[in-house]
This record gives sequence, structure tokens and C-alpha cells, in this order.
Amino acid sequence: MKTSKVVVITARNVFSGQGLPDPRVVLKMFRKGLELLTGASKAEEALAIWFKPEDRVGIKINTIGRRLLSTLPETSITLGLWLGQTICREDNIIIWDRSNEELKDTGYKLSNTPGSLKIFGTDTRGAGYTEEPIVNRNIGSLFSRIQAELIDASISLAILKDHGLAGVTAGLKNYFGAIHNPNKYHDSHCNPYIAELFETDLIRRKHRLTILDALKVQYHRGPSYHPQWAENCKKLIFSTDPVAADAVGWKLIDELRARKGLPSLKEENREPVYLFTAEKLGLGQARLENIEIVEEEV
Amino acid sequence: MDRRDFLKCSLAGCSLFLVGKGLSTPLSSSALAAPPSQLSRVEARYYQKLPDREIKCELCPRFCQLGDKERGFCGVRENQDGKYYTLVYGKVASLNVDPIEKKPFFHFLPGSEAFSLATAGCNLSCKFCQNWEISQMRPEQVRNIHLPPEAVVETAEKYNCPVIAYTYSEPVIFYEFMYDTCLLARRRGIKNVVVSAGYINPEPLADLMKVVEAIKIDLKAFTQDFYTNYVRGELQPVLKTIKQIAKSKTWLEIVYLVIPTLNDNPEDIRKMSRWLKAEIGPDYPIHFSRFHPMYLIKNLPPTPVSTLEKLREIALEEGLHYVYVGNVPGHPGEHTYCPNCGKVIIERYGYTIKKKELSGNKCRYCGQVIPGVWS
Repeated sequence: MKTSKVVVITARNVFSGQGLPDPRVVLKMFRKGLELLTGASKAEEALAIWFKPEDRVGIKINTIGRRLLSTLPETSITLGLWLGQTICREDNIIIWDRSNEELKDTGYKLSNTPGSLKIFGTDTRGAGYTEEPIVNRNIGSLFSRIQAELIDASISLAILKDHGLAGVTAGLKNYFGAIHNPNKYHDSHCNPYIAELFETDLIRRKHRLTILDALKVQYHRGPSYHPQWAENCKKLIFSTDPVAADAVGWKLIDELRARKGLPSLKEENREPVYLFTAEKLGLGQARLENIEIVEEEV
Repeated sequence: MDRRDFLKCSLAGCSLFLVGKGLSTPLSSSALAAPPSQLSRVEARYYQKLPDREIKCELCPRFCQLGDKERGFCGVRENQDGKYYTLVYGKVASLNVDPIEKKPFFHFLPGSEAFSLATAGCNLSCKFCQNWEISQMRPEQVRNIHLPPEAVVETAEKYNCPVIAYTYSEPVIFYEFMYDTCLLARRRGIKNVVVSAGYINPEPLADLMKVVEAIKIDLKAFTQDFYTNYVRGELQPVLKTIKQIAKSKTWLEIVYLVIPTLNDNPEDIRKMSRWLKAEIGPDYPIHFSRFHPMYLIKNLPPTPVSTLEKLREIALEEGLHYVYVGNVPGHPGEHTYCPNCGKVIIERYGYTIKKKELSGNKCRYCGQVIPGVWS
């Protein structure tokens, strides 16, 4: 029985002449993705399912790969502005990651101006981390005050990449950027840490939606950028099931690897086992047989 | 800025830290004070370059293999475009003048003051860490002052400290900074001591021992289970480190933080005592220290003094000569007793030396040689 739905939207014309995502096309992808995910006739109705007008919404992006391999402004700001113009107040939306430097290096212009979309890192003055560690099973971490205190609802807008240790880095692992000590959770294929971090109340309760940025996918030797193993896939992946979204991301990476003659992640003994841990914890579906995948092109 | 101005600046920074004789409050993590660009970029030692801009760190038994822009478990060493860098060279997060007894070293220049420093970071993840506000942080998450080796040594001299202690967090992770400072300090007649969990590979340890006089090892437990569940490391490399130090000319002391119900099993202590006697002999001091609830373990009480006494008794029964009780000021287990005549030869109260009955390195009463570094 299929219990989770994942929507994969492709847009062949998503990259502009300069090789950057075209915001108009990206918006079309967002709209179609959410319509198909919810069955709503208008994407705005889909947004209203997850977000209330008074919600402060965090869009957690991943900028560790800087301009070459990150959630780019053309994608995240498009989402933030759309959300701000339809459901929520624009200045209640925060696009964020760990540090202002990483954001700036990725091409973001920091913003904390009343009335407009907010863009800043945890190291912004007035943000920082919680004073005391929050514990869940094997996790003991200080949390970004953005995740802990400044938002009510969260979207994980994560870049999809191969990851040498975890196997895949996507929507769940994106929240490693919400804690002060992600370096402590990379052993044992990041398992069970990625799953247990997501299970933490501050994340699980606030998480509404996963959107995987698979416009350009590093399918081998990630998470660092290696152009010879990066592919313009021109896809965005949507789900309210954070585990299923990542499982479909894993499938995409393995398909790319197969096409390029590379062994699968399982054959390289680095399949993302944390997904199965996440399933056991009741966070979502990790097995493709339990996931309905809807694919469409815009 | 010339050198004089630089030092003036650094020392002004030091005044923030050198508060009294206790460990100054570690700097808050709630607001980040050091943007990544202000961290150091000094090439790390003990690593191997791999294809595709990857590296393998060989400093500690974790052997972290990292892609570009990734950091090791310690959080202070980063691969930048295929080259491995330490981000904490000269980036001091905690600085103080402490009695050497606080480290604790009981057989190393008793009563002397140690200029003590640390950077952020650690290659372990102890759930009971007593200094987690610096050790479990990345350097950009704490306030640092820039204090390169020369400034460290000059400041130690200014405070008339005969010893520099690399301590508080885990000195292994700021190896390059520590090593270079040790070299300079030695040339100026200052001794170096290291307070470590001993999670280091044999080659860097061997090199380090050429420039330090004493190492204190935190042996967290004598079971792998404890190391797995509460430390996130391996026991065997630590035991190997203890043996390697004992075989060298570097003075060794061992601390065992006793945590109620977690690592206070008398049988384990007996096994550990036997192992120590067999592998390194009875003469290296071991301190059974009292735990206070901290960091991720706040649901346990402080160690009962009776537990410490019991474990001390077991270690003495097994033939270890210098067994101390730590973090219990005024306890008779703080004193050094001559293993031959049984008299108190160094009487302590907390970190204070009340009486010292040594003649050179010998018991003043019976002439028994007492191992240690006494002058």
C-alpha cells in the first residue's frame, strides 16, 4: 500500500542563458509541484494547508557548497516571495543557514529589514544558538535560535547531493545546519543521527514541507563540488513526507550513477541507512514500494 | 600595527580572561563572535592528500576522511580545496593562571602556577564534559582572542608562570599551535604540560613528547561500552597512549572522573588498577575525581565521597602507590603518602600546598625516592 506521495517536477528550460535558475520557471515548478502534491486546483490553496497567515516561516537552505553547489537565491527567494505574497507576511519569512558568510558567498544579500523578506545566518547578532543543549536519544546540541525561537513553521529547501559518509544529503540532513555541532554526527554513515535530529521536537513539530533542489545534482564524490560528476537534472522534488522525499532523491542519484557507469550507493557500502532508521522512528516512508511518485514536466 | 601594539591589544584581551585564579567563564555561545574568515588558516600537520581534493587526517584515531570544505569531528580542522588547515592556530578561547594542582598534576612542580590556555574544539564528545562550552563548540561559536605562540610565551613570562598548560578543551586538536608554543617556551626556560584524553596517534604523540615535560591523561573508563556510549571514542588507543608516555621521559599522571552508576563499578577499577600496574608500573599517580552534573548528564548526583574512597582503596590494594581523591577539598586522599614509611610527604588542601616534606626527590623521613618532577 502506497502511503506517501512525492512529486517530481522537471523543467527543461529552468536554466537561463547565464546558467542560473530562471525565477519565472522555478515559480511554475513550485506551483505545479504543490498542486500535484495536494490535489488542489491552485497552488495557493496547497500553501494554505500548511501555513497560517500569522506563521513565521523558515526556509532552511544549504549553502555550504557556495555559489557552485547550493540552494541558490533564484530558487529560495522565489519561494519566499511567493509565500509572502500569497499566505504569510513577507517579513515573517526567513531564508536562513548557518553563517552570513556562507550566504553571502552563495550570492545572497543579507536582509533583516522590516517589511521585507529576511535573509540571514545563525551567526547574525541577536540570533545565535540556544543557551542549553537539547537532547534527543543520541543527539545533544544547541539549536539555532532561528529554528528554535524565530519561526513557527519550516520548509527544508535542500540541495540534493551524493555524500561520502551519509550516502545522500537532502532534506533531512539539511537540518544539520540548525545545530551547533554537526561535525559530531558524521560517523557511522551519520546514522542514527540524521533521523534522531529530525525527530527532535523543535524540528519535527515545525517541519511542513520538503523541497529538494535537484536542478543540479552532484551524484558522485559529494558533498564537494566536482563538475565532472554534477548533472543538470532540472528537477524539484516535493513531499510532506521528509523521509520519502529523500528516498526519491536517493533513487535519482542512483539512476544518475547507473547511467554514468558508477556503482550504486549500496554497492559502495554507503546507502543512506539513516532513512530506514527514520522510518523506524515513524518519521516517514523510506521504501520506494510505499511511495507514490508523480512525475510531470512544466 | 607593530609588535608592541599587537601585544598591548592581546593583553587587553587577556584581561577579559585572567579573572582571579579560577577558570574564567567560558564565553557564551549565544552570539557568535568570530566569523569563519577571522579564523586561522595554517596548514595542519599529520594528514594525507587524497584524489579529488579529499584528505585523510592522521592526527587522531578517527582518521577523518573529508571532502572540500568539510571539517573533522573536532570541528577545528577543515579541508579547503584539498589542503587541510587548522582554524585555531593562536585562537585562544580560554586563558587563565591556575595552580598546577588544578590540572591536576600532583607530582610535577607542586605549588607552581600554570599559564593555562585552550582553543575551541575536541575530538571526543563526552556527554559529561565539564568544559563543554568551549570543547564542544566550533571556533566561530566562541569568542577568541588572537594570541600566537610568541605572545603566549611572553604573557606567561609577564605573569611569572614557570609552566604553560594546554588544557580545558582537548589540546590534541590544536596540535600545531601547541607544538610551536612548546618549542618557543622551552627555549625561554618555561615547561610545558598537556591535559588530554589521550586520543592521539602514536607518531604525533611521539613528536609532541619531544617538547613537553608532562602529560595528564583523562582515562574516562575501563570499558569499551562506556567509551562507545558516553565518549564516542575507543578505549584501546587511549591505553596505547598511556603505555607510550610511560615508556618515554615525559611525566604521566592519570585522572579518572568517577560518574555514579556509569563507570564506578569496583570490578572495573580493580581490572584497571591491575592493568596499570602490569603495563606501566605502580608509580604513576592516578586521581579519582568527583563528578558534578554537567552538559548532557544532569540527571545524576555528584559522586558520593564514599565511592571515591572505595575506589581509591581498591587501587591501593592492587599495589598502585599514588592514588588520589580529586575535587573533594580537605579530603585526606589529596595528600601524597610515602609508599615506604606511610607518612604524609605533601599535604594539600584543594589546590594549596600546606606542607612539603621532600628532600630533593626523596621522602624526608625515610629517603624513599618519590617519582615525579620536583624542580
